[in-house]
Amino acid sequence: MSVLRHPVLRAATRIPPSYVVFAVLLATLWVLKPAMMNPNILATFARQVVPLGIVVLGQLLVISSRSIDLSAGGVILLVNYLISSGQFNGVPPLVLVGICLLVGLGVGLINGLLIGKRRASAVIVTLAVNIVLIGLVEYLANGKPPGDVPAFFRNIYNARPGGVPAPLIFWVGLAMAMSLVLSRTIFGRFVASIGSNPVSAHFSGVPVERTVVTAHVIAGFMSALAGLVQTSSIAVGSVRFGPELVMNSIAATILGGVIFGRGAGVWGPFFGVLCFALLFVVMTSLGVQEPGKLVVQGCIILLAAVFYGVRTKSN
Amino acid sequence: MFTQIGNALSAKNSRQGLWLLPLLVGLAASLALSVTADDFGTPQNFLNLTAQAAPLLLVSIGQMLVVLVRGLDLSVGSVVSLSTAILSLDAPAVVTIPAVFGAALLIGLVNGIAVTRLRVHPIIATLSVMGITQGITMLVRPVAGGTIPPLVTTLVSGEFLGIYMPVIWVVVAILVGWKLLYGSRFGLHLFAIGGGDTAHAFGIPVRRNTLLAYVACSCFAALAGVFLAGRITSGDPNIGAQYAVDSITAVALGGTQLAGGVGSLQGTVVGTALLALLANGMNLLNVSAFVQTAVKGLILLAVISIQPRKNIGL
Repeated sequence: MSVLRHPVLRAATRIPPSYVVFAVLLATLWVLKPAMMNPNILATFARQVVPLGIVVLGQLLVISSRSIDLSAGGVILLVNYLISSGQFNGVPPLVLVGICLLVGLGVGLINGLLIGKRRASAVIVTLAVNIVLIGLVEYLANGKPPGDVPAFFRNIYNARPGGVPAPLIFWVGLAMAMSLVLSRTIFGRFVASIGSNPVSAHFSGVPVERTVVTAHVIAGFMSALAGLVQTSSIAVGSVRFGPELVMNSIAATILGGVIFGRGAGVWGPFFGVLCFALLFVVMTSLGVQEPGKLVVQGCIILLAAVFYGVRTKSN
Repeated sequence: MFTQIGNALSAKNSRQGLWLLPLLVGLAASLALSVTADDFGTPQNFLNLTAQAAPLLLVSIGQMLVVLVRGLDLSVGSVVSLSTAILSLDAPAVVTIPAVFGAALLIGLVNGIAVTRLRVHPIIATLSVMGITQGITMLVRPVAGGTIPPLVTTLVSGEFLGIYMPVIWVVVAILVGWKLLYGSRFGLHLFAIGGGDTAHAFGIPVRRNTLLAYVACSCFAALAGVFLAGRITSGDPNIGAQYAVDSITAVALGGTQLAGGVGSLQGTVVGTALLALLANGMNLLNVSAFVQTAVKGLILLAVISIQPRKNIGL
């Protein structure tokens, strides 16, 4: 790997892969379908990945603190059920939103306590929580097709203040907030220090357990927010989505240069999510079907991770 | 004496891990089931139980090998699906069976090389390989269907020398697992690699054995695929979906520590049997499939919460 020690290449490998991939995809789209390069059309595509983008904001936080959250799918499913089941018809929409966010916080707290306090494996805990939530929702729904989503949610989703879709503004705002949290707050410093070395962080007086628990609570909250946006986008409830969202959230985070305990940036993963938006457009316009998408997606994750693995070794 | 029993049950200083406790729980559960569910104690139900547990046992034995070296293989489920998809192609068994194991070998090599040589985290490596394999599976067989060569179906159904075929599969799987883990240098090395960072200093080829663990895991998953294909007599691109989680649950239930280095074959067998027993019992008691999923998740949560580790995180 001596080639990688060259200063120019070393500088190049510090850029999150998502920026490069995003540029390549944009160029590909420009060559293939110049008509698509219209801000309105691109904004519509970007709007579709907003739930993914919000999940990624939580995911990058837990991955930065050397953990992982695979339970986002279950939380989204539960939020979707709570809103579309019609059980809370008399409840004002804002209270319903509050309930959903509380559910997200609760799931995040359970994850966090089991991982931080009980020191159980994060993969297994969140995987198990995910199965429990899915089983619970499917049992409650009992195979019945879910009802309609209240108009309140759809109206907000379809609003375009100043020509920009509202979900997009919401996502960018959240990303900015997360970026400030990571760079300007003590909590952000704690996350970064746990990411670079949990043992030395502990001996430097960083409350490792508490920080991990908090990171998971925030991730659970983000999942609930993503569930709200997702539910608003589909207008009708569904009991069949979620798993690929979690895989994509991990993929986008890695593509953004955040990998277990390294790089606590928000904008790398942000562009990672936009890459996925473009990737689906490019592949659809090339006529690539679902299996091909899975293969390409897997290859991208693996290559991004390999790229970063090689980088560690050369340093 | 009570201290000894207590130590054995909590598996404090053991390399075998906590497996006596799940065994006792399993025995208690089967006792309770034989009283409450009428059909539980019948020989036919026992044979059903074996046939249900056999593929999971195969996958779990492979998963345990990887977990012992501090890894995790999430791609096993897609390997199971891919195997059934390849077998269901319209081709003679002499072509498809080697193709199944060739594919498994390749997938195991990709996982192993990514983890050992390219230093990708096992979860990321096997997750992306899972996606790729699932995509290929859907290319090979978009929807469930096709026919399985008669050679494979006779291998898994019917009887041989008066013994029910799935029983033979289970026994052979356990014997092979035993030989790998306790009757070979490879098995000893797996425990050493998982046990500490010093394995390399003792001259143990860490990378090679870790790689072999991933290859063995994929091959066990392919065997499970062959078994399932013979049972359902068609290919199904989604049949393996639950095996990643189920095998991790079975392995964890059998006392294998996910931090590596601690675990046992008997534990994995007990864990698998317990999971199968649970599913069987809930089926006999007419519990909804969705509740069964939730119960499985709760069990997984409980099992890993009673074995605290040193480190926080993955």
